[in-house]
Amino acid sequence: MEPVNNEVTERQAVRVMRPESPRQAVSFAKRFRAPYIAGGTWLQPSCERDRQWPVHLVALNPDWPGFRGIQETEDGLSIGALTTLDELARHPLTALYLPPLSGLINRVAGPGVRHLGTVGGNLLAGGDLSALALALGTEVDVVEGKGSNRRPLARWFQDRPASDLLRSVTVPDCRGWGVSVEKLGYRERFSPTRATVACVHAGLQVQLAVCGEGGPGRLMVTEAMLRDEGIRELTDLAIVVDSELETLGWHDTRLRLAVRRMLESGLMEVTRGA
Amino acid sequence: MAHENSPGGVGNLVTLDGDSIRNATSGMDLAQRIEGRLAYATDQRDLSGLLYGAILRSACAHALITRVDISKALEMPGVHAVIKANDVPGLNCFGIVIRDQPVFCDERVRYEGDAIAAVAADTPEQARAALDAIEVDYQPLPVVSDAALAEQQTALHNSHEKHGGSNLLARETLECGDLDDAFSRCAVIVEHHYQTPRQMHAFMETEGGVAIPDGKGGVLFRVGCQSGHRDAEQLADILGVAHEQVTVESTVTGGAFGGKDELTVQPAAGLLALKTGRPVMIHLDRFESCRTGMKRHPVSVKMTTGCDAEGRLLAHKAEAILDTGAYASLGPAVLENYLDHATAPLYRIEAYRVSGRLVYTNNGVCGAFRGFGGNQATFAVESQLDELAHGLGIEPAALRRINLRSPGDAGSRNQTVRWTAPPAGVLAAAVASPLWSRPDTDTGRWLTGTGMAMGAQGNGLGDGLPDSGGGRISLSPAGRICVEFGFSDYGQNIVESIIRSVCNGVGCREADVEVLLGSSRGPDSGPTSASRSTVLVHGVLASILPRWMDVVRGHASRVSGHPEEGLAFGPGGVFFNGRQVLSYRELAESASPDEMAASASQDFPVAPDSGQPVGRYLQLQIATVARVAVDRLTGRVRVTDLHHVTAAGRVIYPPGYLGQIEGAAVMGQGMALTEDMTTRDGSYLADNLDQYLIPTFHDAPLQRVDVLDDTPEDDPFPVRGVGELGIEAVAPAITAAIEAATGVRVRRLPVDPGDLLVAMAAKEQTL
Repeated sequence: MEPVNNEVTERQAVRVMRPESPRQAVSFAKRFRAPYIAGGTWLQPSCERDRQWPVHLVALNPDWPGFRGIQETEDGLSIGALTTLDELARHPLTALYLPPLSGLINRVAGPGVRHLGTVGGNLLAGGDLSALALALGTEVDVVEGKGSNRRPLARWFQDRPASDLLRSVTVPDCRGWGVSVEKLGYRERFSPTRATVACVHAGLQVQLAVCGEGGPGRLMVTEAMLRDEGIRELTDLAIVVDSELETLGWHDTRLRLAVRRMLESGLMEVTRGA
Repeated sequence: MAHENSPGGVGNLVTLDGDSIRNATSGMDLAQRIEGRLAYATDQRDLSGLLYGAILRSACAHALITRVDISKALEMPGVHAVIKANDVPGLNCFGIVIRDQPVFCDERVRYEGDAIAAVAADTPEQARAALDAIEVDYQPLPVVSDAALAEQQTALHNSHEKHGGSNLLARETLECGDLDDAFSRCAVIVEHHYQTPRQMHAFMETEGGVAIPDGKGGVLFRVGCQSGHRDAEQLADILGVAHEQVTVESTVTGGAFGGKDELTVQPAAGLLALKTGRPVMIHLDRFESCRTGMKRHPVSVKMTTGCDAEGRLLAHKAEAILDTGAYASLGPAVLENYLDHATAPLYRIEAYRVSGRLVYTNNGVCGAFRGFGGNQATFAVESQLDELAHGLGIEPAALRRINLRSPGDAGSRNQTVRWTAPPAGVLAAAVASPLWSRPDTDTGRWLTGTGMAMGAQGNGLGDGLPDSGGGRISLSPAGRICVEFGFSDYGQNIVESIIRSVCNGVGCREADVEVLLGSSRGPDSGPTSASRSTVLVHGVLASILPRWMDVVRGHASRVSGHPEEGLAFGPGGVFFNGRQVLSYRELAESASPDEMAASASQDFPVAPDSGQPVGRYLQLQIATVARVAVDRLTGRVRVTDLHHVTAAGRVIYPPGYLGQIEGAAVMGQGMALTEDMTTRDGSYLADNLDQYLIPTFHDAPLQRVDVLDDTPEDDPFPVRGVGELGIEAVAPAITAAIEAATGVRVRRLPVDPGDLLVAMAAKEQTL
């Protein structure tokens, strides 16, 4: 095995490796400690900002089976990690399973970025999609050194080796569920998310998640309270949500106030008529 | 264009709409500009022997430089020259008002963008790599970051002894009447602090250009800039050459807004060009532009305003601090314009004292920016009027109506003023805006509200500053009516305005006219700033067109044999009895260009009867009505509509007028809602447009621009410049609308949604 090279370089000196298979991609990533690149919409500005580029990049191939496209499976909706945000927003199955998603994606970045940016890249960066994916109980199909593995996204977020390669995500069959997702940015479009809040009423239970400045996370404590006690006084809910958000890393009290209100609004929306 | 009688019963109220654009625009370079196809100076890369330059910037906000070693950089591949302070043959400093900014720092750096050295190499990458090889040792100094405390801290400029060697660069006070007596008679007094942000110009084309040596010690600059003649003077002093040896061609420029008024890349490019004997191009990327470029002066002001029980304004006091950053640039002039606007030029006030202090800090550099300090002051003044109206329990518009000046009144500084419509007429039109008739909602998620503010804007550079400009007209060898001005066209499309004026004056067609702009070898028109270009273009053309037509008519008579009095100008040539007898080309071929040329220069009009120069003679007005929706959940503010009522003379070129007002308004919206280049210890916290957030098309509101024109027929200055007018009243109109929606008055810009949400929540608790 060649020695690991952690150095950075100029842009024109970057060596882009094009593996023949997902397994080889994982192998390259481990061997050279090289990041994967798909749309590059996050990597490029980051490297330009630092004027430092990794010596190696592992280019992912959207033609690999399962890596691109959207299809129905017996477990729900399978979305390839290299599916672009634009493809996801326009796909008829998205409208069928997740009507609010197109509206959310329309507020993610700009058209040029959405043509390049991928579902996997957005999730790995804790981007706008991660709150909704967490709230839906999404599972990820990951290519590892030893094979493939499927696990809940929430668990993968907690313990994710850098060389793990995301093949696809599977959203449970959420037709008929109440789904609400709301983004707070600095401006109407092309803004980093300050807070994106997702509420899902999945049959008998409510699932909540956030992402943004405090990081992505599922609000398990709040969900448990709602499961055990129902939506009682909103004041009680606010205290629990506020405490859980702070624990997750949301330290801006003003932003927590906004998230609480967004959650309350989302809950009202998804539980209306339930 | 929709015409209607104005609600105030004065003048003609015209709405500039889609028809006014479709019927008036020829397209020109607009499509190219929008689609990114317009060639800027830095797109001309086919110059023989072209080298690429790069500038080493300070890594510290404030430090002594103890060592600069360029030896390794000189050995780098592709490098042709590395220069630093001791390579500057002339003055190692520049600045429009005070030359206090080093071309290259040799002893001390005062902000993170300060230049220390520069490199010329075969490729941009090689130049960048060579910069990395330059070794600089710093000895850090305490950073002056709080403008309010700057005067008590280490002086950034030891040589600046005007105010005892402190960081106070300038202070000024404007006053009239007995302020203490006036306050003693007030029934209502309001006192508040206001703060406005450090805004970035965010032009499409970042700073750049190319310097081309002529082989005889001189240099030609092709660069995006705002004043070729003034830049040429400064550059000659820096290069240590005669002024005639420097030529500046202000090329097509992708936006400036004041941010290219000062020298940018020119000194380093020129020095490298002379050192290498080859053309050198420098083009800042967006990161470097953000770090080094000019910004709008942040202003903190305490304002106290009082009125009697009938709402008559009696007393007004302001104490402002402006942060100019590390160097003066146009800071002293910005301070003067800020104070002028702080006197509340639209309103009669019995007594006022407005004072300001301009201080140096290590927070970047601030300078010219559309509005030029005026809109910062107007935000505070108009907010104060709303507060007074609330205190009195009357409508804000009613308070304004009581106090607005009339056309015969002197200005706020007792100077003669030329309005183009009565201020009360502008207010009446704004009060009649259909935006007021939409119901405000205070239930549901989105709270809506409508608010209004007014503003005045003077044309011209301001008090005591030399302000003149000239132009030239000739017949080119190709038979085109060639009009030359020194102005730059950086997107305002002044070319179309000139063509329109010439066609109207001569009777020719647009294709007969050729406009040449921006060469320091041509007429000196002064800077393209302060909304002065349109006034001067119209004035100069009014002077030279009749003379030029007489000259050409006389020549045409001699060539054609027809009597002068029977000859008329028309499309394509000169006519006699309705028949073209000579084309312009035939005329041109019959004489040398100089035989059929005319030129003129004029001083910018200032108040004629003042004891001392007061620049605010030609006054424009605007009233902006804003409608907003505020998210009860998050405090997010959407500006849904802006309706502007303007009074700025006659409209020569409707698309240009509309573009200036709407564009400036969106810029003002950015200042109100999202834009602020914040600093920590002298370092900017944003470095690109993914962190510094300007409004997008989705943020831009629906806009309507009305023109109230009551310009007297005999007004010698019927055409005014509107480059800055649109930004004047946007911010206070938005905050007034936010208050109408939420009950919360915001006094610090940009509006922080988190703060607004907390204040809204507190209001809800009290209900």
